[in-house]
Amino acid sequence: MIAAWYEIASLMLIVYVVLDGRNFGAGMLHRLVARTPDERRQVIAAIGPLWSWHEVWLVGFGGTLLAVFPKLLASAFAGYYLALFLILWCLILRGIALEVGGHIDDRMWQGFWDFVFMLASTLLAVLFGAAAGNLARGVPLTSDGTFSMAFFTDFTPRGDVGLLDWYTVSVALFAAVALAAHGATYLTLKTEGGVHDRSERYAKGLWAAAAPLLVVVTVETAEVRPDLIGRAIHDPDCWPGLLLVVAAAAVLVSGLATRNEMLAFVGSNLLLAGLLATLAAALFPVMLFSTLSPENSLDVYAVAAGPDSLAYAAIWWPIGFTLAAAYFVFVSRRYAGKVSVRRDNQGFY
Amino acid sequence: MDALFWHRLQFAFTITYHYLFPQLTMGLAWFLVYWKWRALRTGDQRYTRATRFWAKIFGLNFAVGVVTGIPMEFQFGTNWAGFSKYGGGVIGQTLAMEGMFAFFLESAFIGALIWGEKRLGPRLHFLAALAVAVGSWLSAYFILVTNAFMQHPVGYRIEADGSLGIDSLSTYLLNPWAWVQFAHNQMAALVTGSFVVAAVGAFYTLRGLHPEQASMYLRAGTVVGLISSLLVAFPTGDQQAKMVARHQPVTLAAMEGRFVGGPRAGVALIGQPNVAAQRLDNPIEVPGALSFLATGHFGSTVAGLNDFPKESWPDNIELLYYAFHLMIAIGTLFIALTAYAGFQNLRGRLESSRGLLWVLMLAFPFPYLANTLGWMTAELGRQPWLVYGLFRTAEGHSKVVSSGDTVFTLIGFVCLYAVLGVLFLILVGREIARGPGNARSIERGEEAAP
Repeated sequence: MIAAWYEIASLMLIVYVVLDGRNFGAGMLHRLVARTPDERRQVIAAIGPLWSWHEVWLVGFGGTLLAVFPKLLASAFAGYYLALFLILWCLILRGIALEVGGHIDDRMWQGFWDFVFMLASTLLAVLFGAAAGNLARGVPLTSDGTFSMAFFTDFTPRGDVGLLDWYTVSVALFAAVALAAHGATYLTLKTEGGVHDRSERYAKGLWAAAAPLLVVVTVETAEVRPDLIGRAIHDPDCWPGLLLVVAAAAVLVSGLATRNEMLAFVGSNLLLAGLLATLAAALFPVMLFSTLSPENSLDVYAVAAGPDSLAYAAIWWPIGFTLAAAYFVFVSRRYAGKVSVRRDNQGFY
Repeated sequence: MDALFWHRLQFAFTITYHYLFPQLTMGLAWFLVYWKWRALRTGDQRYTRATRFWAKIFGLNFAVGVVTGIPMEFQFGTNWAGFSKYGGGVIGQTLAMEGMFAFFLESAFIGALIWGEKRLGPRLHFLAALAVAVGSWLSAYFILVTNAFMQHPVGYRIEADGSLGIDSLSTYLLNPWAWVQFAHNQMAALVTGSFVVAAVGAFYTLRGLHPEQASMYLRAGTVVGLISSLLVAFPTGDQQAKMVARHQPVTLAAMEGRFVGGPRAGVALIGQPNVAAQRLDNPIEVPGALSFLATGHFGSTVAGLNDFPKESWPDNIELLYYAFHLMIAIGTLFIALTAYAGFQNLRGRLESSRGLLWVLMLAFPFPYLANTLGWMTAELGRQPWLVYGLFRTAEGHSKVVSSGDTVFTLIGFVCLYAVLGVLFLILVGREIARGPGNARSIERGEEAAP
């Protein structure tokens, strides 16, 4: 049961990254692929009315974490105090920029909110990337299961680490590039005209840049956490994730090469999901690894709620998930197809 | 100042600010559903115009509610790690259910409600309005179950490691405290919604703008305002007071500034609690009223604060007393105001009573105040407990987070929320200035879907 909840929590986070990642990517590239104010509105319209539905996956993940792994949430959220508030403030700014930008038909007003949207999206991609790096590297957990850390210390990934060091910064860089590529792939699928053509070029260029960065991050992981790479290669639990990465990369490349936009976007989604699934499988059962001393690490069994709490949650969660998926399919079918540059895109998706 | 104080202040500030928005969402949602339904049934364009106009204000309000809501859940972990560790196995259930059952529903349909009229067609658009309304009320239920557990814990067990776990999910979800609180709180949200609708109607009437729409808003706002103001007081408020009397007698004594217990307890109309001298200064009381409120009999005995150990007294008795009394005073005025408006409406003089229109136009902030005071009563009254009788507030905060960090993030929220507030008022002001009758806004509504 506890392992199953680890998988469900991982799934929720992966779904969140894949869904909101495209919005971060579109936000980062927004001022590069869209040259005119109308084109910028086209990008916002392409993100569509479901961005808050995407964000609910993060909220749902937080709630589920509190219900099934309360001690993990207590330790990690308090430990990442300032970094988490930065993420929250960026999420607030991103949401506001999306919602109010179109409300006043004025170039200065919209230009300002487009800029806020770009800035918040970039920071979010970098911060979530650094968070993934932190998960892999570990945090300075003490023997009482708590930690608090600085933004950076001496930039080495061992001992008394900070949020940022050379390892987590390179993971953040990879995440930013990969999410930008993901966003560009999405915009290629979802737009037409100039935005489409520029997005297509960015998608190819950014995925080409992400590939060597992934190699670098993998080599660095072998240095920082050799056990993770060993797990990924030898543990059959990690193989589905690895297989997904390889298959998704092939789908993505063939989609980009044949200009099959849907295929490329599917590949892009699966590639991100595969990478995160591999990481989740390689980390299991440790949820927070201690850089100070491995025996301080918090594993999934130490942080889980009581067995009955988990069993009760297992009753309602699948119902909620099925309903959520049904709403999504229902609404997103009505927003299928490409978004063009039209006057009435002004804030109305 | 110690860290606990700043953690409490940050949560109080962020939740109070956040809740200014959902209360209007929950109140206004049913106006949208009603007008949408009328439009569907009668084909009358007046209702369609009303829905389009209010949907824009609803959308802005909803957006601020969403973005200010996200930090709430995360603060359980960042600022209240002790509480999360102790009670997460129980309260996490409803916080996660809120996401899975309410937020997914609301967020899937909110965009469709605001901009998807043409894309969805009238029937589905009505269903979108209904989905958002139901989602927002469901969300309230899950949050109130969470709060009810903190007020009156049921359905839990103590696990081997001393933390709380669920013993019976149905007992937890059907906590009687939650039902009473839900009824009281949702009626109060309807008061906010109807006062805002009535205020816009009064403004247009005084200005002589959009007369047809204005009179719809005035009528709907004052009628729903009267019904919901009555229901807030009786039976929901009355039941809430009885619930407090039964399960938190020390809180009731503090709410009334009652230090010495005894029979025929009165309700103070005027009076100032003097905690140092342990008495109520300059009281003017209705004798027996508190006994009646608490138990249904004028002669029954109501305990005073001195009947309880000092460690169990709420830690801010003065604020609790003022919050409770001001809430009741304002709530009573709501009933008087909307009843008078209803009377004038029956005489056909609602639109011509300029004095009344001025009051209705300026009254809309007061339901926000009353809702906030009600929540202050609930939360200050729960002190010094985080989970009543089980877990003290002083044990709940994150020990690894220093007070300086919390002051920093609190200042960050104050600045960011000040900007949000200004933005919100400007944008809502523009929508009100543009109005429901403007040809451009109608055309926009029809051409909404690209």
